[in-house]
Amino acid sequence: MSANDADAPGARPWLLMSPALAAVTLLLVVPVCFIVVYSFWLRTAAGGEQVGFFLDNWAEVLTDAFYRDILIQTLRIAAISTVLCILLGYVPAYFIARSTTRHKAVLILLLMLPFWISYIIRTMSWINILGVSGALNVFLLWTGIISEPLQILYNEGTVILGLVHFLLPFMILNIYVSLDGIDPNLTDAARSLGCTAWQAFREVTLPLSVPGLAAGSLLCFVLGAGTYITPMILGGPRDAMFANLVFEAIITQLNWPLGSALSLALLAVLGAVVMLYTRYAGINQLAKSFR
Amino acid sequence: MSMVLQLFSGWSLIRAFTVLVYLFMFLPVAVVVLLAFNANQFGSFPMEGLSLRWFVALWHNDAIVRAFKTSVLLGSLTAVVSTTIGVMASLALVRFDFRGKGLITTAMIAPILVPEVVLAVALLLFLRWLEMPKSFPLLLLGHVIFTLPFVVLIVQARLVAVRREYEEAAMSLGANAFHTFREVTLPLIMPAVFAGVIFAFTISFDDVTGTLFWKPGGVETVPTQIFAMLRNSISPEINALGAVMVVITVAVPLIGAALARRMAAALK
Amino acid sequence: MDETTRYQRLLERFRNGDLDRRTFLTLLGAASLTAGLTGGPLKGLQRQAFAATPDSVRFDGWGGVVSEAFRKHAFDPYTAKTGITVIDGTFASGDEYLNRVKAGQEGEYNIFHASGVFDYARYVNLGYDVVLNEDNIPNLKYVMTALMEPFRKVTGGKLSAAPYDYGTTGLAYNTDKISKEEMAEKGAKILVDPKYKGKIGGWGDWRTRIWYGALATDQNPNDIKDMDAVWDAIRAHRDLALKYWGSGAELMSLLAEGEIYVTEGWSGRIAALQQQGHPIAYYDAPGSYAWQECLMVLKGSPLEACEELLNFMLEPDVSIAVAEGQNYPPALDPTKVDLGEKIPTLPAFDPTGKLTNLTFADPAYWNGHEAEWSKTFGRVQKGY
Repeated sequence: MSANDADAPGARPWLLMSPALAAVTLLLVVPVCFIVVYSFWLRTAAGGEQVGFFLDNWAEVLTDAFYRDILIQTLRIAAISTVLCILLGYVPAYFIARSTTRHKAVLILLLMLPFWISYIIRTMSWINILGVSGALNVFLLWTGIISEPLQILYNEGTVILGLVHFLLPFMILNIYVSLDGIDPNLTDAARSLGCTAWQAFREVTLPLSVPGLAAGSLLCFVLGAGTYITPMILGGPRDAMFANLVFEAIITQLNWPLGSALSLALLAVLGAVVMLYTRYAGINQLAKSFR
Repeated sequence: MSMVLQLFSGWSLIRAFTVLVYLFMFLPVAVVVLLAFNANQFGSFPMEGLSLRWFVALWHNDAIVRAFKTSVLLGSLTAVVSTTIGVMASLALVRFDFRGKGLITTAMIAPILVPEVVLAVALLLFLRWLEMPKSFPLLLLGHVIFTLPFVVLIVQARLVAVRREYEEAAMSLGANAFHTFREVTLPLIMPAVFAGVIFAFTISFDDVTGTLFWKPGGVETVPTQIFAMLRNSISPEINALGAVMVVITVAVPLIGAALARRMAAALK
Repeated sequence: MDETTRYQRLLERFRNGDLDRRTFLTLLGAASLTAGLTGGPLKGLQRQAFAATPDSVRFDGWGGVVSEAFRKHAFDPYTAKTGITVIDGTFASGDEYLNRVKAGQEGEYNIFHASGVFDYARYVNLGYDVVLNEDNIPNLKYVMTALMEPFRKVTGGKLSAAPYDYGTTGLAYNTDKISKEEMAEKGAKILVDPKYKGKIGGWGDWRTRIWYGALATDQNPNDIKDMDAVWDAIRAHRDLALKYWGSGAELMSLLAEGEIYVTEGWSGRIAALQQQGHPIAYYDAPGSYAWQECLMVLKGSPLEACEELLNFMLEPDVSIAVAEGQNYPPALDPTKVDLGEKIPTLPAFDPTGKLTNLTFADPAYWNGHEAEWSKTFGRVQKGY
């Protein structure tokens, strides 16, 4: 069976991965090495860098409560957004997966429609909906439910709203892709054995959709934790997230060494989350169940 | 009693929920499209007048039109490259067992873990060290690297569900690896590949920070144009652009389907 | 190895069965990519800097109306005369641009529309300045001396930039909600007035916040004695403010839609709002923050070509067109040049050309505190 080299990996996986690996090495690993080196340098008074080996930035990042508080706030906002995405996104994904092919294509297309409008514009349009003279207030005033416009903008809730709106398609598509691959015979078999629709779903469909759910959750969490434009546009003064700190350190304060240390800290935290994913919900785990 | 329960706990509830979620997704889209017709530059609702002037201004705004073309070109190329190498990498990661797999998977997903502004600056520093000037291909590579994780994540989630038996069957019948992939695996993972293409395109289209730093002189994308316009004010031309794109996205498939039907009817 | 030879060699090996198709295609792709990357049209930028006549000069600005005015009135005539193309770039903030220059390569960026002597000093401190030959820029004679002096002080009597326009960041307020008398009475303190809680805005820029913090505590912004009082004033503002806006678009939309009633704002944007008929008035409190913008030439640029382009851009027609587009008065001396009808009506405009009423930031003082203050503001802004 010389034609079958699926059992002996040999060079094949490396060959397949080579373009992606090359891209990741050159465009990510090497730049990250630069970042690591910079994190040990110091900012000069003029905004340049003093080469050397200093631990000041790291000491600051690891001990200062300011960074820790913002990091916790960031992870919290990301987690809430992810959970909301799961709650809001699973049902639509199920609906799309169970639709006829023609409807499927239309529904997915519709899902991506908001992306055609540039992210900045989309985020700012929430101001036209929730603002003092926005659609919601105008409607409530017109129906007489309230007499003074509500001040709903520029707080953590608005940031989460903007985030969920941005992240939902990622969640829905990931879950859908998993659901779509489930053999319908499996649920039929369960039903014919006496399960109710809900039981069939819980015992058969739900577990099989976990890869997509996990991938979607990971994506949403990571994207949510790394965002800075949403809190910048929709947040109040205290709603900054960690990526805002990184952005400010680099761009506003011209402190590349500190910004490098901060971004490595974020990378470490999010990297840990990803490694958890690959270990428990990712490729290894599920590949085993399908051997 | 059970019939009432069935009515409410069945497909109709699922459909109603889905409709609500889609409405939520469309709220900003609707607002943007409506405001594209706003006679005033500011002021939201109720609109004081309707006007097409922003569409006219858009038509005459060379900079935005050029930026749009650049964005579409960049997005399409990114989607093609990213999806291709992403699918190949996913195949390797799911179908084979080798040392360091967990680490490599994390590395593939890593680009979205690094704050974009840092990746942008770091890549520029790398380029400077290589004494390489900025160029469109480099901008493309930058876009590929941060769209790659999306493709890998979504394809591998689907690929794990494709039973290896199908591929092994094909191979035992004499197909080589490439044919097996093309005839068996690819059709089965097509929704994921399709989703990957869409993700890659839209992420690239929407990218601000990286593009700001990596773009060569004279090259502008729609988001960088918008970002630059923020200083003086966002003209509703951008709303008009959004409205036009939405119409195109909705109209093109509809027209395509109608044409296909007409051609099929004509052939009978 | 040139490209043709490389491809032929690969083809030979493939045909001979040394490479399987996948490897061949990968190597081919890699070869093409390398060719594309290294043979790009922008290679040799550094060589250009020392060439007598470069192919192109790069200008980066704020885009939009200003870019169009420059293109029409300055760049096209320049290209017609010298044959050198002008490549147009944009940036969204001065800080972002500085970071791009810092991460970029020498000669990549030539001229840009800098904001403030503060910015100018930053580039000088990082070593990006040049010495302009002012004989090659005769139109400099129309520029107000009062604007050139601060730059000369930073670069030892020489210039690396040509002042281009100026403006102020004063107080903007909704006339339906706040009266002129109240503004005159409270001045900068209105930004920390609890009466307007939730209806106050402010720019998220540390310089502006500290400047107004100083004014609100009756201090001289160029010589602050009690910095703690200033930080407290900034905290008070933060707690009363609805939002820190970060761009002209946000500023205008917040005021126009009635989300906020008072904020400090850029004179040009407020003028634009007034031109559209919104009930927004502009008040320059004593010590209001004045600033100027310039066109700066960066190290590694082809000097003579840039000097010539600067001269084109300083032509009165161009300056006036840009000024009317931006709503910021040009740096041209009104006593030497006729500025037309619209410019004298712009806020912050000074007909005497001496600018004695405007308070500019002292670059030595502000640049000296940049590292410490920008960092502390980052924390205060977020609730600390």
